[in-house]
Amino acid sequence: MILNIGWLYPELMNVYGDIGNIIVLSKRCEWRGIKANIKYLDIGFAVNELEDCDILFMGGAQDRQQKIVASDLKVKAKKLKEKIEAGTPGLYVCGAYQFLGKFYKEADGSKVNGLGIFDLYTENPGENLKRLIGNVVIESKFGKLIGFENHGGRTFLGKSVEHLGKVLKGFGNNGEDSFEGAVYKNSVGSYFHGPILPKNPKLADFLIKIALDRKYGSRTRLSPIENSLEEKARKAIAKRMNVEYNKS
Amino acid sequence: MNILLVLFGKIFSLLINSLSLGRGSTWPGHVALSINDNFSRELLRSSKTKIVIIAGTNGKTTTSKLIGTILEGTGKKVLHNKAGANLENGLASTLIEGSNILGKINYDYLIFESDENTLPLILNKIKPDFLILLNLFRDQLDRYGEIDSIAKKWELSVQKLNKNTKLIANADDASITYIAQKSKLKTYFFGLNEGKVHSIPHGADTIYCPRCNSKLNFEFINFSHLGKWICNKCKFKRPQLSLDEFSLYPLPGTYNRYNTLAAVLFSQLNNIKNETIELSLKNFKPAFGRQERIEIDGKKIQLFLSKNPTSFNESLKTISNLGAKNLLVVLNDRIPDGRDVSWIWDIDLSPLKSLKKVFLSGDRVYDIALRTKYENIKNYQTFEDLGKAITFGLKNTSKNETLFILPTYSAMLETRKILTGRKIL
Repeated sequence: MILNIGWLYPELMNVYGDIGNIIVLSKRCEWRGIKANIKYLDIGFAVNELEDCDILFMGGAQDRQQKIVASDLKVKAKKLKEKIEAGTPGLYVCGAYQFLGKFYKEADGSKVNGLGIFDLYTENPGENLKRLIGNVVIESKFGKLIGFENHGGRTFLGKSVEHLGKVLKGFGNNGEDSFEGAVYKNSVGSYFHGPILPKNPKLADFLIKIALDRKYGSRTRLSPIENSLEEKARKAIAKRMNVEYNKS
Repeated sequence: MNILLVLFGKIFSLLINSLSLGRGSTWPGHVALSINDNFSRELLRSSKTKIVIIAGTNGKTTTSKLIGTILEGTGKKVLHNKAGANLENGLASTLIEGSNILGKINYDYLIFESDENTLPLILNKIKPDFLILLNLFRDQLDRYGEIDSIAKKWELSVQKLNKNTKLIANADDASITYIAQKSKLKTYFFGLNEGKVHSIPHGADTIYCPRCNSKLNFEFINFSHLGKWICNKCKFKRPQLSLDEFSLYPLPGTYNRYNTLAAVLFSQLNNIKNETIELSLKNFKPAFGRQERIEIDGKKIQLFLSKNPTSFNESLKTISNLGAKNLLVVLNDRIPDGRDVSWIWDIDLSPLKSLKKVFLSGDRVYDIALRTKYENIKNYQTFEDLGKAITFGLKNTSKNETLFILPTYSAMLETRKILTGRKIL
């Protein structure tokens, strides 16, 4: 079995250790005897490269980099939307998460259009409000998700997306409504760095399983991987954050 | 007024030191600044001391020490801020320490290594004779923000300097060159012409043109995004170098060749002869935690402060070249380290495969262990307790080997405290 993992803009959208998510996806395939083929989709990639991607990933970046990416992504938005609507599993972190929404409202009130794939929008609250920074723990359908957040933008969800989870400790999408992230079909958006997948292997395995199911037709069974180190890393943060933690 | 503040500050540090409350390296300055915001400027205005300010993500401390050693080798009196005291209050405290009770500074040179975020604040108040800009890499994003925002702040504050300041800048870093060229300062560039890498390594930051946002082309790369670069679109390119090599590099590692070149170029501009520079460099002792050697019970230890992806990668390459067999990595996530440990996924851990034993410790021991596991490395052991990790590491290091330790900043202080019984030597 082979999975093609499409990494959108690895050169530019990689500021917060995002490569970790790619490493985790590919190793968790490899350790199960599934070949992971990583496609590096940098500025100027041909849109048909998206066609055979079984999992998509895109990370966060600085403003200047995001502008460069935005103009390149504009011409590929239609295909990306098709893929996401068809149920291609994907993970979109921080800047990428905001990109997939309807718009990003700058502090001066001007709006920058997003790709409009996720029913959500983001507001920049301006210099006077603090960035939301720190360790974060949420309760989700993948159990507790544990990571680190660092974002200025406040994201608000519309009706046609679900939240990824409810915040137990930390800020989440906007620090107000106690939601974090978004789930639409098989795509997950989140503010989690850390990066998100190493300490949350259930989420990683969800993406891999959906990809296999879609590609190979039947309901696949993923062979288990020893997760005791992951458990220790999760437990250490949960304990520090005063969150009750039972084995996931 | 300032004389009173100096006097008060001196008594204050004396008290702190005699009561062993810590080094007392920032409090006196903090108090002085809260009473007179222009304290440092006014104190320096009345002295003939030449001011040297050094900034950059990596290499500040080593470059400062190199310059200090060379200047002292020529008989100059040098005042240098203490480790970690690199904010405005650190500068004020250094000046309190360096002035006599009449508030007079009788030093030939003041070397101030500045925190990245503090540089614009300092330059607003103090116009240095020399400004040295080393590099900009991603580092503690939760504290410093992204490097573009630091670069922009530097650009604006350097523009405000007048022609009395000479700029020494790393030409191999496109973001530093851009800041230099946007200023009107007389600039002297250093760089290295030895890179063998042609593809851009993961985690390199400035790989798009700071002027026009097109992708840069690299003839070669020394490490990260440092190399011989050109923008094929707007023709912005690495400028002519004033210095690209020297006869002696006192410390191993490509990054230390950059630090040495910065120090040598500074010395040449201060009319110090190459032979004199060489002589001082021969006797150079590394700054604490930066390739510092410690010996305990006949066992050798060497500390390589590794605080961000670039410094970790370069430390790892350097110890591999030194034939390292045993390694202890200590990952903390306290304020001076940055609370976010995501950066460990940006480092290239493949050199670990050639080591005999790897020990892992620190507040985030299981995060670095996970990173190691995902590199398919099996020969590692984890220790929640740093003391145990060091003891075990030493036990497993034979007398003819060295235990190399790569710690983050607070982990380095903690490690030294355990090894030497004191916080900072």
